[in-house]
Amino acid sequence: MQQKIENLKSKSFEIRKRMMEMCIKAGTGHCTSSLSATDILTTLYYGGVMRHDPNNPDWEDRDRLFLSKGQASPLQYTILADLGYFDAAHLENFAQHGGAFGVHLQNSVPGVEITCGSLGHGFGIAAGSALAAKKDRKLNMVFALLGDGECYEGSIWETAMFASHNRLNNMVVIIDRNFQCVTDFTENIVALEPMVDRWEAFGWNVKRIDGHDHAALLDAFDGSRSRQSNRPLAIIADTVKGEGVDFMECVPLWHGIAPQSTDAENAMKTLEGRYVK
Amino acid sequence: MSNITQRDSFWNRVYELAKVDRDIIIVTEDMGAPSLDKFRTDLNDQFVNVGIAEQNGLLVASGLAMEGKCCFVYAIAPFVTLRALELIRVENAIMNIPLTIVGVGGGFGYDDSGPTHHLIEDIAIMRSMPNITINSISDAIMASAVADESVAMTSTNYIRLDRQLSPDIYKPGDDFSKGFAVVKPNADKYIIATGRMVQTALNASEKLAADGISLGVIDLFRIPVCIPELMNAIGGSKQLFSLEEHFLPGGMGSYLLEILNDEKTCIPLTRLGLSFEKGYCYTYGGRSKIHEYYEVDVDSVVTDIKKAMN
Repeated sequence: MQQKIENLKSKSFEIRKRMMEMCIKAGTGHCTSSLSATDILTTLYYGGVMRHDPNNPDWEDRDRLFLSKGQASPLQYTILADLGYFDAAHLENFAQHGGAFGVHLQNSVPGVEITCGSLGHGFGIAAGSALAAKKDRKLNMVFALLGDGECYEGSIWETAMFASHNRLNNMVVIIDRNFQCVTDFTENIVALEPMVDRWEAFGWNVKRIDGHDHAALLDAFDGSRSRQSNRPLAIIADTVKGEGVDFMECVPLWHGIAPQSTDAENAMKTLEGRYVK
Repeated sequence: MSNITQRDSFWNRVYELAKVDRDIIIVTEDMGAPSLDKFRTDLNDQFVNVGIAEQNGLLVASGLAMEGKCCFVYAIAPFVTLRALELIRVENAIMNIPLTIVGVGGGFGYDDSGPTHHLIEDIAIMRSMPNITINSISDAIMASAVADESVAMTSTNYIRLDRQLSPDIYKPGDDFSKGFAVVKPNADKYIIATGRMVQTALNASEKLAADGISLGVIDLFRIPVCIPELMNAIGGSKQLFSLEEHFLPGGMGSYLLEILNDEKTCIPLTRLGLSFEKGYCYTYGGRSKIHEYYEVDVDSVVTDIKKAMN
């Protein structure tokens, strides 16, 4: 177990580094949103949680992952390239003319389920996908990663009550709770807390964990495929927006941009300093 | 007058199709119909009620469709379209996830309910996006035929149903493949109408005939229409009129103007419909009173046509 966690830590560093390099080169991309969700996605993809096959992205029985916070596309693209879903050379042309993909999520990329950039979409589509799996008696799981700011969208709560009413216990939603939105901290804008109470009130089983702790993440996902509860599962993952690059952490101004020149150099140094012993 | 509404005719046919294709699913946004009661009873596993939640209805239907289901998402027309518009744009126009979006109450079907329930902008809005076909239904027979077509489609089909009983214009077995139909032939003058207004156009044509004026009637029920076939029908015309229960900017008449322009014709087209000057209305006492307010009742249409012909 300890080795698995060490491997996940190491992989998370690699992914963060590669993702930042890609965005820095392109001069664009939602770096801080990607950094906050990195450990969640590496646990799903590399931690043995999700069933998926890079050689067969459309495998009918794959677990679905709906990246509802589509602005974290640099993170998912970096992971999918690393896993071999497509040639990693495409990362070099991120958001460039002639490139295969840009700043927001695009469903033409192998391994990506949906085009997504405006918020409050992926979660509801995930519920439809989970309902289809139930109707067809399929055993695949449906995961959805939401931003916490995305929870301002009314459609999220329409879906939340629908999913619990329909007992979609094949569905796991992870809320990347980094407490930041575009311009400010969520609790200054319109308070999102108490998150646990809200999701519970909408009929979900809820776990709240440190979203950068791979052991806690593995534990939260453990058994999600064979839960006894009829309720869907919400994992509120407390994270830091910009995790790993100290001067970008918890600074709303870094939303949606990639560091350039000396900031870029410092970003890579601070990443190395944080993760390489 | 048909003894069945468009929606009951439509859902009756979907019921028959769904009995043999268990991947057909109706996602209703808490909207019923007498014809849906048996669907809910007999095919309960193919019936999903999301409540009055048009965004989630569109999303859940899209998720089901991504997994291979053939989904009909159903509500009162202004809500199933406009309330969920940005989701339709991303899921159905951009991603091209195929759905059948079924709206009841196009135009003034909900005549006594006021402007929140009138839908007089949807043709302009829905035709502005690729991968979406509009079917503006004019009678119960067409409604049934479009159900069959919808199941076979690989992109999104928006079906604009009237809420009220409508006179039969077609016969079972009629061909709807071209997207329009010449319901009253004429040598060189046509009024081209859609939905409920096809009957108004027929009535206006009869009145004009009594005054010795000959005017043909075309029902343009699908956008995009088959343009070469339409031009075959109207290309030799000397004068055209359009009539719709819809605001004039961007509507079916505007669509016709675009076609006539792109086809480099010089046929004059007079558009009849709802003007912005009249705005939205709180007129009660039935649909005919609303038509009088907007001056799209039969007498007003006859007057406007005579004026344009002189």
